[in-house]
Amino acid sequence: MEEFLVATLRYGTPLVYVTMAGVLAQRAGVWNLGLEGLMIIGCCASVLGFVQTGSLLFGFGLAIAVCVLASALLWFVVEKLRANPIIAGLGLTGLGLGGTDLAVQAIYGSQATVNAPYGLPRLGPAFGAFGVLSILVAVMPIVVFLMWVVLRRTRFGLQLAACGEHPFAARSVGINPSTMRLIALCAGGVLCALGGMELALGSLTIFAYGMTAGRGFMAFSAVIFGAGHPFASAAAALFFSIVGAIGIRAQLLFGDRVPNDLLLALPYIATVIGVWVSARLRGGARTSEFGELRDY
Amino acid sequence: MRGSLAAVARALAFVLLALALCGFIFQIAGYSAIEMFRSIADGAFLNPNAWQGSLRWAMPLFITACGVVVSFRSGYFNVGAQGQFYIGAIGATFVVDFLNGYPAALVVPLAFVMAIVCGALWAAWPGYLRVASGADEVITTLMGNFIASLILIYVTGGILKDPSGTGQVMASRPVAEAYRISSEVGLSPAIVGVTVAVGLLTWVLVNRTAFGVLCGLAGRNPTMVVWQGARMSQFGLAAFALSGALAGLAGVVEVLGPNGRLVSGFLPTHGFTAILIALVAGLSVTGAAVVSLFFGGLAAASLYLPVLAGLPAAAIDIINAAIALFITARAAPGLAWLLPRRRAARGA
Repeated sequence: MEEFLVATLRYGTPLVYVTMAGVLAQRAGVWNLGLEGLMIIGCCASVLGFVQTGSLLFGFGLAIAVCVLASALLWFVVEKLRANPIIAGLGLTGLGLGGTDLAVQAIYGSQATVNAPYGLPRLGPAFGAFGVLSILVAVMPIVVFLMWVVLRRTRFGLQLAACGEHPFAARSVGINPSTMRLIALCAGGVLCALGGMELALGSLTIFAYGMTAGRGFMAFSAVIFGAGHPFASAAAALFFSIVGAIGIRAQLLFGDRVPNDLLLALPYIATVIGVWVSARLRGGARTSEFGELRDY
Repeated sequence: MRGSLAAVARALAFVLLALALCGFIFQIAGYSAIEMFRSIADGAFLNPNAWQGSLRWAMPLFITACGVVVSFRSGYFNVGAQGQFYIGAIGATFVVDFLNGYPAALVVPLAFVMAIVCGALWAAWPGYLRVASGADEVITTLMGNFIASLILIYVTGGILKDPSGTGQVMASRPVAEAYRISSEVGLSPAIVGVTVAVGLLTWVLVNRTAFGVLCGLAGRNPTMVVWQGARMSQFGLAAFALSGALAGLAGVVEVLGPNGRLVSGFLPTHGFTAILIALVAGLSVTGAAVVSLFFGGLAAASLYLPVLAGLPAAAIDIINAAIALFITARAAPGLAWLLPRRRAARGA
């Protein structure tokens, strides 16, 4: 049981961080499909920064800086150039995947993975079986709680929600929705950097091309499933990670009878079911309006 | 006419902006941007044999892009072309593998039908979830891509595995010579014929039929369509199935054509590139035919770069992604003259 919980937290912590980034963006009125790209950038920048300078702190700072920069680029394209957020987000994801590949090849030649000498500090033996988890796992519930406080109990959070729900109303009381979105997306960039760092340096100490494998999109669906509420979305993300952990466990138990590749598909199937259920419960969440695509 | 000229100028301006961003990224990574772009142009168009390669890559991309045009015009964001392409290819490979030895006149058409049906079905379930429950199709089709590529890994490592394979690359048995519709070059009359037929049929469907008109209307204003007495859900399903069918068709063209076998994880960016083609072309079929050549050239260059120029193929992925980032932009600070009048008047 403890082992299973450890596996769930390992799978789920990066997902929860990135989900929180998605919650912030969704509250501000941007459907951020660039989460996947930001996450892989976070993975890559933290590992490369760490390996190149030998300082974990530098990797941490570099990941945050690059992710915030990429988020600001997405903000500029969506908000200032008024691009379709879905396609622009997918573009950012592609840019993250291609850019990290290019960076690794530029530094290490045609090598596919980069190994870090060690990972993030662990919780230590005081926590028993959970001691193998990184400190970012312990910070995760605090971040989720803080996110709830900020979004639901502060003036800033309410203003942000106004920007997402009714930008015109927000503007009429003197809030600039565009600036608020920039803040939300950049803060989300920091969270994506944390999520990427946890994925790359939490238990694996490795960067591999495409290692996020759709986790950013899963986080996006967790936001839809949780209706943008911090607790509900985090719970949805943890639900997806439980399914992921079950898949990993099932491979060990009866991987000889059921094909592994199909067990790996479990979290994706759970995500589809999650989106379907939330649409049934609350009506469909339209991620954007498409009519404008043809009205150039 | 002025409107469409402005649209072309606008698309070009944003493609150039995307290329500028790419050049910046290449410089940061330590490559010479000028050398990179020159090598890409070499691999895509300037090299004597390059046009052959560009055309070979452009044709399957164009087939998938036609499907994307239909679904995007109808207002459905089917971004699962990649998965539908894979499932179509898998269906076709099953047919040629299990009916090996039967006459080609029977097996090849059956493989085509199977691929089209499989692709359509793989698009139909997100379509059904969308029209029946309102489940967001962006997420379901994206997840469908991941599931489809796991299914591809599963069948190429299991049921369809080539027993003589090295184990390094998981792949199916090569398609028998009799069933191939082209050689490695991929420019046979069969493939050209299929591509032209798909282009013509899609053009007629989109521009000259009631279905096409209603689809276009549904994309802009679904309420209007309902008021006209049409059934939105049927349109939705048809648009999804049609786009999936065309992606599946591109799958069988690749397997029976230039690829010659089903390889695990082959052409991983096919679907994304097809979506880009549709968007850059402004969701027009004739435009997509021209734009396909450009992206086909980039695809050819991504093979040329690492082998002949010693540069990473990831450069092409970055160019594609940067174009995606900018191509749907509708406002250009300081460039308002590029936009059609009514937009410019309303904008800012």
